[in-house]
Amino acid sequence: MAEKTIQIEIKRQSSPDAAATWEKFELPWKPGMNVISAMMEIASNPVNAAGNETTPVAYDSNCLEEICGSCAMVINGKARMACSALIDKLEQPIRVQPLTKFPVVRDLAVDRSVLFENLKAVKAWVPVDGTYALGAGPRIFPQQQEVAYPLSNCISCTICMEVCPQFNDATGFVGAATIAQVKLFNAHPSGKVLKEERLRALAGDGGVQECGFAQNCVQACPKQLPLTEAISDVTRDVILQQVKDFLTV
Amino acid sequence: MATATQPAGSDRKLAGGVEPLRAGKGSSFLWRKLHSLSGVVPIGAFLLEHILSNFEALKGPAAYGAQVKFLNSLPLVRVLEIGLIFIPLAFHALYGVYIAMRGKGNVIYYPWAGNWMYMTQRWTGYVAFAYIIQHVIRQRFMGVSLPEHPGAAFAKVQMELSNPLMLAVYAVAMLAVCWHFSYGIWLFAAKWGITPGERARKRFGYVCLALGIGLAAMGLASLYAFVGPDYKNAPADVAPATSSLAVPSIETYAYVV
Amino acid sequence: MAAPKIIVVGGGLAGLASVIKIAEAGGTVDLFSIVPVKRSHSVCAQGGINAAKDLKGEGDTTWKHFDDTIYGGDFLANQTPVKAMCEAAPGIIDLLDRMGVPFNRTAEGLLDFRRFGGTLYQRTAFAGATTGQQLLYALDEQVRRYEAEGKVKKYEGWEFLSAVLDSNGVSRGICAMNLRSMELKTFASDAVIICTGGNGAIFGKSTNSVVCTGSAQSALYQQGAFYANGEFIQVHPTCIPGEDKLRLMSESARGEGGRVWVPRTAGDKRVAKSIPEADRWYFLEEWYPKYGNLVPRDVATRAIHKVVYEHGLGIDGQPMVYLDLTHIDKATLNRKLEGILEIYEKFVGDDPREVPMKIFPGMHYTMGGLWVDYNQMTNIPGIFAAGEAEYQYHGANRLGANSLMSCIYGGFQAGPNALAYAKSLTAAPGDGGAAHELARQHEINERLMKSSGTENPFKIWRELGEEMTKNVTVIRYNNRIAETDNKIVDLLGRFKNINLSDKSQWANTSFAFTRQLYNMLQISRVVAQGAALRDESRGAHYKPDFPERNDEKFLKTTKATFAPDADEPRFEFEAVDTSLITPRPRKY
Repeated sequence: MAEKTIQIEIKRQSSPDAAATWEKFELPWKPGMNVISAMMEIASNPVNAAGNETTPVAYDSNCLEEICGSCAMVINGKARMACSALIDKLEQPIRVQPLTKFPVVRDLAVDRSVLFENLKAVKAWVPVDGTYALGAGPRIFPQQQEVAYPLSNCISCTICMEVCPQFNDATGFVGAATIAQVKLFNAHPSGKVLKEERLRALAGDGGVQECGFAQNCVQACPKQLPLTEAISDVTRDVILQQVKDFLTV
Repeated sequence: MATATQPAGSDRKLAGGVEPLRAGKGSSFLWRKLHSLSGVVPIGAFLLEHILSNFEALKGPAAYGAQVKFLNSLPLVRVLEIGLIFIPLAFHALYGVYIAMRGKGNVIYYPWAGNWMYMTQRWTGYVAFAYIIQHVIRQRFMGVSLPEHPGAAFAKVQMELSNPLMLAVYAVAMLAVCWHFSYGIWLFAAKWGITPGERARKRFGYVCLALGIGLAAMGLASLYAFVGPDYKNAPADVAPATSSLAVPSIETYAYVV
Repeated sequence: MAAPKIIVVGGGLAGLASVIKIAEAGGTVDLFSIVPVKRSHSVCAQGGINAAKDLKGEGDTTWKHFDDTIYGGDFLANQTPVKAMCEAAPGIIDLLDRMGVPFNRTAEGLLDFRRFGGTLYQRTAFAGATTGQQLLYALDEQVRRYEAEGKVKKYEGWEFLSAVLDSNGVSRGICAMNLRSMELKTFASDAVIICTGGNGAIFGKSTNSVVCTGSAQSALYQQGAFYANGEFIQVHPTCIPGEDKLRLMSESARGEGGRVWVPRTAGDKRVAKSIPEADRWYFLEEWYPKYGNLVPRDVATRAIHKVVYEHGLGIDGQPMVYLDLTHIDKATLNRKLEGILEIYEKFVGDDPREVPMKIFPGMHYTMGGLWVDYNQMTNIPGIFAAGEAEYQYHGANRLGANSLMSCIYGGFQAGPNALAYAKSLTAAPGDGGAAHELARQHEINERLMKSSGTENPFKIWRELGEEMTKNVTVIRYNNRIAETDNKIVDLLGRFKNINLSDKSQWANTSFAFTRQLYNMLQISRVVAQGAALRDESRGAHYKPDFPERNDEKFLKTTKATFAPDADEPRFEFEAVDTSLITPRPRKY
C-alpha cells in the first residue's frame, strides 16, 4: 500500500527583490500534523514534488502555541496562524504564502515592525514613576479586569491588519490591534494619564478614521479580541477629544 | 576599534509596506468625519425629504406640482439648495470615491457579511454617484425649469420614465441609494461610538434594515405613480393644487435638520 | 567617561527586566534578540507568579515561600539568593500591578491568588491563563517606552554568537549575526547580560519555543563559562503530545481541581465519560492523600510514568493518562482556565469541558544553566546571566509559578549589578579582542558555508532529541546515559560532514539553525555527563539504581567547564549554601 501523503504548495521568494514562485511538495502524512510540522518535514528532507533538491522554507515561528504571534501566514487564501492550522482540516493541495500587506523578507517571513512602530506612536504603556518600591497598584475591580484582559491578549500577529481592506499603502491605516491597545491603556487607572495624547495621535493621518468597518479584523483575530467594539469606543473618544480641543485649546 | 559604532541591519527598512501612524498629523480625520457626517446631515435628511416629496406623486400631478412649488417657495431656497444639497453632495460623492479608491477589497478571500457590506457600500456609492449626476443634469438643469414651472414636474418625470431603460436606471438607483443611506446610518452609529457593543449594533441593524426597506418601498411606489395607469399622459403643466400646502411640515423639519 | 553601555541578550522577562533597571538608572542598553522581544518564550508561561503577599488570611510569609522553594528544589539551591528573591517577590508583584498587568481580582479590587503545586498556600497571582504573556507585555511596554525615549536600542533579528573577550579574559562586548543579511559584527559593551532562556531543543520536542536552543549558553560554556547543574531538567507532567512540539497543559488545570486518572483495567475501550467512578483509578489521590493531584511536578511525572510503564495502564496502551476537568462547571472553567482549554481544543480538536484531556509528561524547564555568583555574574568577568539561562533559584526542581518570579528578580539584580560593574571597569587593552573574535566567527561561518557533506542538520537534531528524551529525562540509568553520550559524540562527528542545502547569504534560517545545532550537541554532553556523575536521586533527577538523595556526596552544585583540547566537558563540584535551612528529607 502506498504511504499516505499530503500535497502542499509554498510561495517562495529568495529575497525581498526576487520574483516569487510557487513550489510544490509531497510529504508523508502523519496524524496530528499542522502546517509548521510540514515545514519541519521539508527542512529535514528538502526535496520538492518534482524530486529536485531545494532549500528549507524560511518562515517565522516560535512558540507554536498561538501565543507568540510569529507564524501568521496566508493558508488556502486566509490569513491565520500556521501552528494551529491542522493539515487534516485543510483542503489539499494546501497553498501557503506570506502575508500580503507586509514586505517579504524571504519565503514566508515578512517584516511586521510597523505594528511596533504604531504601538510606540500611541504610547501603549502605563507610565510608571519607577520600578522601586511604591506600594500596591490601584484597585481594579473584576469587572474592569474582565474588560482589560481580552484586549491584553493581543499577540501582535497582525492578522487583523492583513485582512483589513483599509490597511494598505494608500491609507497607511494604523489597524485594529493598535486601536485596541489604546482602549486598554486608556481604561487603566494610571495608564489614562496619557489618554488625551493617545487620542490625539489616533486622529492623525492613518488613524481611526480610516476604518471602513468591514469587520474582517474581529472575524479573523485568532485570539477573539473585541476589536470592532474597541474601534467604536476609541473613535468616539477621539471625536470627543477633537471637539474638546477645537473648543478649548 | 574594529567594533561597530553604527548600528545596522535592524535599522534597515525593507522597501514597501504600510507606513506607521502619523500621530496627530494631517487633516484626514476632519475630512473623513465630515464625509461621514454629511451623509447623515444634510444629505440623508435631504434624501428623506426627497423621497417623501416624491411620494406626493401618488396623489397625482397637481399634488406633486404643489409639493414642488412649496419647496421652491422656501426662504433662501437657492442658498439652501447650494449650501445644503449641491456642495455637501458633491463633497460626499467625490471624497467618497477617493475613500473607495483607497480601499483594497478582499471579499473573494474573506466572504464575510461585514466585508460584503463594506464592498456593497462602495458599489452602491458609485451607482448613486453616476445616477445623481445624470439626474441633476437632466431634471434640474435641462428641459423645463421646474422652479419656474412647478406644475410641469410630473410630466417631466413621466417623460423621463417612459423610457424603460431610464425606468430601470431609476429603480436600480433607488435601491442603491436607499441601501447606501440605511447602511450608512448603521455605519455612522458604529463608527462614531454610538453603538459600540455587538448586540447594540445588531439591534440597530434591524432598525436600519426597516428604514432602508421602507424608503425603498416608498421610492419604488413613487416611480410606479409616474408609469402606472392612474395618471397616464399627464398635462405638460398643471396648476399646482393648493390643498396640500398644509402637509409638508415633516419636509420642513427635514430641511431644518 | 561616557555612560556605561550594557548589552542584554534575550528579550524575555529576565532580559526586559534588566533593561528596565539599567535604563532607569541612566545606563544605555543594546538589546539583542533573535525574535521581536514581544514574541519571546516567556509568553508561554500560563499559570502564574508566586509571591507571599498573604492576601488570603492564611498566614503565608516570605519565609514559607523561601522554605517551599528550597524544599521543592531538594536543597540544591544556594539559599541566600533564593531567600532574597522570596523577600522581593511581593514588591515585584506590586510593581507589575502598577505596570498594568491585568491580574485577576477579588471583589474588593485586590489581587487574587490561587494555590499551585508544592505549597499549601494561595500564593500565586495570575492573569487568566496567560500570566507569562501578560507579564512579558507589561515589561515590553516599559522597554518600548524607553526605546521611544532613546535609552534602549533594540537589535531584533540579531543572534548572539559569542562574547568578545580581551587578553585578560574580560568581556568587552559580543559578536552577533544579523539573521537577515547574515552579516557578522562585534558590538562593544562594558558588560553583557545573558537572558537567553532554557535549552528545550536539545530534547527535540519539548514545551519550549523554537528559539530555546541553549545555543548562547553553550557558546559561552565553550568560551570558558561554568555551566551548572545541567543535569536538572524539569519534565512537565501534563503535556499535549504533538507532531511539531509538546504543548503545555498548565499545572493550573490541576490547581483548579483537575483529576488525573486511568481506567483500572488495561485496554478498557469505553469512552472516558462512560467509565464509572468505581472503574477509574485516581492514582495521585490514592498515593499522595495530602497533596493529591497537586503533588510537585517530578512526583506527578514519575507517578504517571509508573502507571503507564509499570502498571501498563496507559489509555489505549499508549503513553497517555486522563486529566479530567469535566466535573467542574463550565462557567468556572471558562473564567479560570479558558486560555489553556482553548489551546487543547485548538490543537487536538476535543473540548476538554466535555471530554477528559489526554496528557503525558514532556521536557519543560531547564533548572541548570550558566553558573553565576550572588551578583548574577558568571565566572567570565563582565558577563552576567539571568532567567532560565542561569542556574541559581530552583535547585533540583522548580516550583510551579516560581519561574516568572526568578526571571524578573534575576533581571532586576543583573541589571544594576552589571551597571555597577561597568562603572568600575578599566579601559580595554587594544581593541578588546574584537578583531580576533570577528575573525574566529567568520572562519566558522565560512567553513559551514563551504561544507559539502551528506548529513542533514535537522535529522541530526531529531536523533539528538530522541536520544536525550529517551535516556536523560524522567528515569535515568548510567549505562543508557553512557550510550547517549557516545551517540552525541557520534553526532558531533557526523556534524563535520554536514550538508547545508541552503547556501544563500540572505535570511538563511537553516544556516543559523546549523550553528545552533553544534552548540546544542556540545551542551547536551554537559547534561548527559552531569546526569551520569550524579549517583543519587534528587528533585527532578531520578535514578532507580540510586533512589535516595545522598547529601554527603551530592549536596553539591555540578559545574562543567569545557576542555577545548579534549573537546568535552570537565566537571567539578561546589558546596551548596545551606546556611539558613538545614536539609531535611523531601517527602510530599
